[in-house]
Amino acid sequence: MSLTNPHSSSSAPSSARVQGMKRSVQAAFDDPSDRGLGSGYQSKVRVVDRYKVIGFISSGTYGRVYKAVGRQGQPGEFAIKKFKPDKEGEQIQYTGISQSAVREMALCSELANLNVIRLVEIILEDKCIFMVFDYAEHDLLQIIHHHTQNPRCPIPATMVKSIMFQLLNGCQYLHANWVLHRDLKPANIMVTSAGQVKIGDLGLARLFHKPLHSLYGGDKVVPALHPAIDMWAVGCIFAELLSLRPIFKGEEAKMDSKKTVPFQRNQMQKIVDIMGMPTKERWPYLTSMHEYSSLGMLQTPMMHHHSHQHHHGSSKSSASTSHLEEWYYRTIGTHAGSSTSSPAHGNPNNNNNNLASLGAEGYKLLAGLLEYDPEKRLTAQQALQHPFFSTGDKVSNNCFEGLKTTYPQRRVSQDDNDIRTSSLPGTKRSGLPDDSLARPAKRVKEA
Amino acid sequence: MAASFWESTQRRYWMFSKEELAQMREKLCDEDPKLVQSYPFPTGNICTSTSINYLEIARLGKRLSVRQQVIATAQLYIKRFYCKVEIRRTNPYLVITTALYLACKMEESPQHIRLVATEARSSGQISSVLIRPGWGECEFFLISEMNSQLIIHQPYRTLATLQSDFYLTQDEINLSWSIINDHYVTDLPLLYPPHIVALTAILLSLVLRPNSMTGASAANNIAAAGAALAQAQVGRGGMGGSGTGVSSGQTTPGAPSTTDKDKQQEVRFGKVQRFAAFVAESQVDIEAMVDCTQEMISFYEVHEQYNDKATRDQINRFIKARGLDKA
Repeated sequence: MSLTNPHSSSSAPSSARVQGMKRSVQAAFDDPSDRGLGSGYQSKVRVVDRYKVIGFISSGTYGRVYKAVGRQGQPGEFAIKKFKPDKEGEQIQYTGISQSAVREMALCSELANLNVIRLVEIILEDKCIFMVFDYAEHDLLQIIHHHTQNPRCPIPATMVKSIMFQLLNGCQYLHANWVLHRDLKPANIMVTSAGQVKIGDLGLARLFHKPLHSLYGGDKVVPALHPAIDMWAVGCIFAELLSLRPIFKGEEAKMDSKKTVPFQRNQMQKIVDIMGMPTKERWPYLTSMHEYSSLGMLQTPMMHHHSHQHHHGSSKSSASTSHLEEWYYRTIGTHAGSSTSSPAHGNPNNNNNNLASLGAEGYKLLAGLLEYDPEKRLTAQQALQHPFFSTGDKVSNNCFEGLKTTYPQRRVSQDDNDIRTSSLPGTKRSGLPDDSLARPAKRVKEA
Repeated sequence: MAASFWESTQRRYWMFSKEELAQMREKLCDEDPKLVQSYPFPTGNICTSTSINYLEIARLGKRLSVRQQVIATAQLYIKRFYCKVEIRRTNPYLVITTALYLACKMEESPQHIRLVATEARSSGQISSVLIRPGWGECEFFLISEMNSQLIIHQPYRTLATLQSDFYLTQDEINLSWSIINDHYVTDLPLLYPPHIVALTAILLSLVLRPNSMTGASAANNIAAAGAALAQAQVGRGGMGGSGTGVSSGQTTPGAPSTTDKDKQQEVRFGKVQRFAAFVAESQVDIEAMVDCTQEMISFYEVHEQYNDKATRDQINRFIKARGLDKA
């Protein structure tokens, strides 16, 4: 109809009906190789032919992850991430592949680094996307959790060092290739049984060198698209490896019904409590941050032993004083004691393998990563060259080297081994604010 | 990868020689020669199947007011896709719309599927019945044929980085930019790396300037561009000496010039010299630039005779006859 005669829209309804009938008859005679429409897209490879699923690992907003082995002689084990089609439950309807899935597919297809999880292949089949990755037995969340179990004992210093080096190496690779991860956290940092650290889950990752600034304006440079945001996250992971709990554990302020992005007051307070109030002196561009005015809502930091000291003129400077150093030495100090009392974890032959051995360089690295001003914050490249890694114990590329601890294997459940069923509760990954802003606010006329 | 074109999937899997490209197309044709013969496209230097897409996608892109980079990405998606799939087995309008929708997501300016559908429909490309199931399938089909290799390196970035090195005026930048836009109609993005295309566009913007076109023919333009490149080659042969020394053996205009026009020409001549020196000193593949220049110039020649309607009619014929427009 409108294809052959673009301008005769008035005749559309009736001709559509007639054509609809014609079509169903015609469909039966169609050349099966006519693709792209109507007769259906068929994947050339089928997931179940290539892989044998041996268990279900986890589910997230994007879909589910399964553990699998190859059926066609592929060596090793695999983690298959299955993106479910949007809006499941009702009638399966395409709304297109989510932007986060598109990003992850495209980015993972290009990336190749020892410290970034390797994509094996992508299979598009039955309205589902299957991303096949190398399997990793552990992740940092698991490992941290294991150390909090009785007896609670710190992660050995050599292991922290190795993890940090590999994590930074992966970050450096991503940033050198203009990729921002934007979701670095212990759960997304995989560790293989050989002690190799692999950055995973690039679902929120994106390239940050686009847009072209100088030409044909219109593209704003988004301040949130700066590799320094990943480096802050790496600092938080470092702190968590030391203390076994999130350093700034705030409560998330949810978006209200009007979809205005709220000020993360509680979260910010936790940061200020340890890091002190950000000031113009420490961070010159602070005042141009769009939430600058909200900082007034925060209370001046309350570190217990400091709280009653200053009342008068110097109160401003005390508010901005960082307590990170105290935090650091308290953390590695306390642990130093408990670590020697539980040799089950660290290397019993190496009495120095406690956190105290990380010493002053450990603090400097941490402070360099948890620096308010993104311009002053260490880059991944700078952090890799930090004396932290060149002094003290040698850095190993196997984070388990010399350790007797064995970590529990990733739990795999047998409840749901059928990778092909698509009965998952339908939720959609909530994008970052910069994504949601780009979407049209409301549906466009009739669909 | 994203930083380095040399390690990108674009360079490793999506650059072909002219022979390879011809072979791939021949293979598609051999799968069903009858089909291809029944719906012949007007012949010409332009690869017809993709030039129609260029026009359509530019139209749709304009309606959605998306950035040029998005359009360019979509155009390359389509080109790649039709290297692997015979166009007459598909509904090109659906492929175009889907490619643009996908490119929007990849280039970080997502558009709602309904908006794209509405625009596609109102521009007369796609009937409403097509929209629902066809989309998702087509998107899968596109991504699958491209092996999920969706990151595209474009010449615009090279242009942006080099424009100040060559002291390009806004006019020259604009002209280079449109030449880059136009190269997506040709096979060049499948043949040459983006920086070659960008450099070619810059060179053309320097030699094709309107005020230099006094009785300009394509031959003249080729000659001008060719001279610059030949000079670059000579410069490279001579130990890659300092840039300014290159001008010695070339036809220099009379030294003392008085009129404004002469002055202008001298400025431009200086720029071409500078450009040639740059190319001479760099590792750029000059052969590729020569070919790229010729392809672009002959494209502009052929383009004037190109019959959009004939192609469109042919596409509509096979879509209708083969029932490719059904949902």
